[in-house]
Amino acid sequence: MVVVTAPQRRIRYGVQQGFIVGVSVVSAALLLVPVAWMVGAGLRPIKEILSYPPTLLPKALTFQYFERILANPTYRHFFLNSAVLALATLALALVLGSLAAYGFSRYKFPGNKAVLMGILALLMLPRVTLIVPYFHLAHVVGLYDTLLGLIIVNTAFLLPTSTWLLKGYFDSLPEELEEAALVDGCIRVQAIWKIVLPLAVPGLIGVGTFVFIGSWNEYLLAVVLTETPRAQTLTVGLAQFFGQYVRDWNGIMALSTLASLPLVAVFVFLQRWVVQGLSSGAIK
Amino acid sequence: MAGFRSPVGAIIEPVAPSQVRARRRLPRYAAGYIFVAPVILYLLATAVYPILNVIGMSLRDVAAGHWYFVGLAHYRQVLQDAVFWNAFRNTTIFTIASTIVHLLLGMIFALLLHEAWFSRGLRNLTRGALILPWVFSTAAAGLMWSLLYHPFGLLNYLAVGVFGRAQPFEFLGDARIALGSVIAVNVWKSYPFYMVAILGELQAIPADLFDAAKVDGAGGVQRFWYVTLPQLRGVLIAISTLDVILTFGHVDLINILTRGGPGRATETIAFHVYRTALLDGNLAKGSAISTIMLVVLTLFCWLYLRILARRGSESW
Repeated sequence: MVVVTAPQRRIRYGVQQGFIVGVSVVSAALLLVPVAWMVGAGLRPIKEILSYPPTLLPKALTFQYFERILANPTYRHFFLNSAVLALATLALALVLGSLAAYGFSRYKFPGNKAVLMGILALLMLPRVTLIVPYFHLAHVVGLYDTLLGLIIVNTAFLLPTSTWLLKGYFDSLPEELEEAALVDGCIRVQAIWKIVLPLAVPGLIGVGTFVFIGSWNEYLLAVVLTETPRAQTLTVGLAQFFGQYVRDWNGIMALSTLASLPLVAVFVFLQRWVVQGLSSGAIK
Repeated sequence: MAGFRSPVGAIIEPVAPSQVRARRRLPRYAAGYIFVAPVILYLLATAVYPILNVIGMSLRDVAAGHWYFVGLAHYRQVLQDAVFWNAFRNTTIFTIASTIVHLLLGMIFALLLHEAWFSRGLRNLTRGALILPWVFSTAAAGLMWSLLYHPFGLLNYLAVGVFGRAQPFEFLGDARIALGSVIAVNVWKSYPFYMVAILGELQAIPADLFDAAKVDGAGGVQRFWYVTLPQLRGVLIAISTLDVILTFGHVDLINILTRGGPGRATETIAFHVYRTALLDGNLAKGSAISTIMLVVLTLFCWLYLRILARRGSESW
């Protein structure tokens, strides 16, 4: 056997740590350059960014571009629409999704497996395959260019995910908990409300974040099913701004930064649950 | 029994003892239907019906507001169209390249994050930073990268100013590299999902497998090859199939970055649907392409579900 002395081991440990940590941190920093560049372009004159060489540290910081965006009622309305859409979709997907998840998790009714497989198949359905019927049907039922229409179709695409992930979560909670409560004279509704739901809060937060990010960021359905700022969301607003004022990089990047800010905040606070939810349920 | 008619009512209404007794006569699993009914009805109306609708529309055509049956005419037209096969080719490149790089990056970062770091805090911070691109909308991601791809942007500064290239790259305007540029953005945006999935699976590998390998004298590379990789095989197959399915239907980035151009150099089948149905206004032909996509996806889905079922029953 090779004898490794203590100092040698320490050096080896140092080299190994330097490699692992160094590669990871440098990669993470490089991968965040696009984000830094976006925020930077919202905060300083564009010639500092689009030039050879670009200035790394801003010479002149200004909030005028952010102020201009925030002062514009159209953009404020996009924010409102995105918020309403994301929150309504979140509520629908969590309420309906957790009901179904509980049913699939606790009752082995005939057809249970087949329906679950159907839901899993819908989870993988790309939005683009349904834009034609949605466009057509939205006109027929009068939901074209309405926020309600967007809420309905966004929920349709996020409900399978939330059901599937929450089912995985309920499966991990022991059934004996409710059985005990039922023996103690609770009816099942009470047992769910008082025992299961509180325990499921981490799962609900994780799945909720996933749904919130998904609907806040949704672009394709919004661009297909809306045509006026009345129902348009931030993602559509961003793409339009980009199409119309191609040269106004400061404005575009300020709007883009503002549009991303709520998500980054949500993610930073809820990261732990999102990671847990994604790594436990997504592929099982 | 009244409670069973309305799913919502059954849950909220206080239940009298006599009703409880009545309910007991039903099999225990009957209540399960009440829990799952709202979701099933919702998805039947908002997903299954539109799927049938798109198939129906693909067999019809519209003139003066009236739909009439034309059979497979649209399919014949689509499948004979060089534009479709160009989109097919682009989709294949886009999907395969994205999937390979997603998995590669996801694997490398997951392995690095799975190692023991001298500082847990720094590790968690780095993990957060590496997941961050996933949080941004494709719209925002597209705009960020447009700025980097600009003729006077950062990437061209590196190419021209640092590496002395004569002319700036036209990342999105040059037909030879536009698809690659879009793939790069897609990779940046989506690798975190696969990184997190692989990381979760790594953490589930029993530590005694590594200990046993160590005792047997296996080095780091051997442990990766003979312990880690076989343990990850299942999840790698599952997420690469999922990735193929998700990338296959991707439209957003292409619409924001290139609108399928220059020419049709970055037009994928998914974007082809969008262009045909919404930009050119040919709903029937768009439906036919959508239906072709659905058929291909059904095959992938079937494959994916089989893999998942195998994962469930076998231990890898």
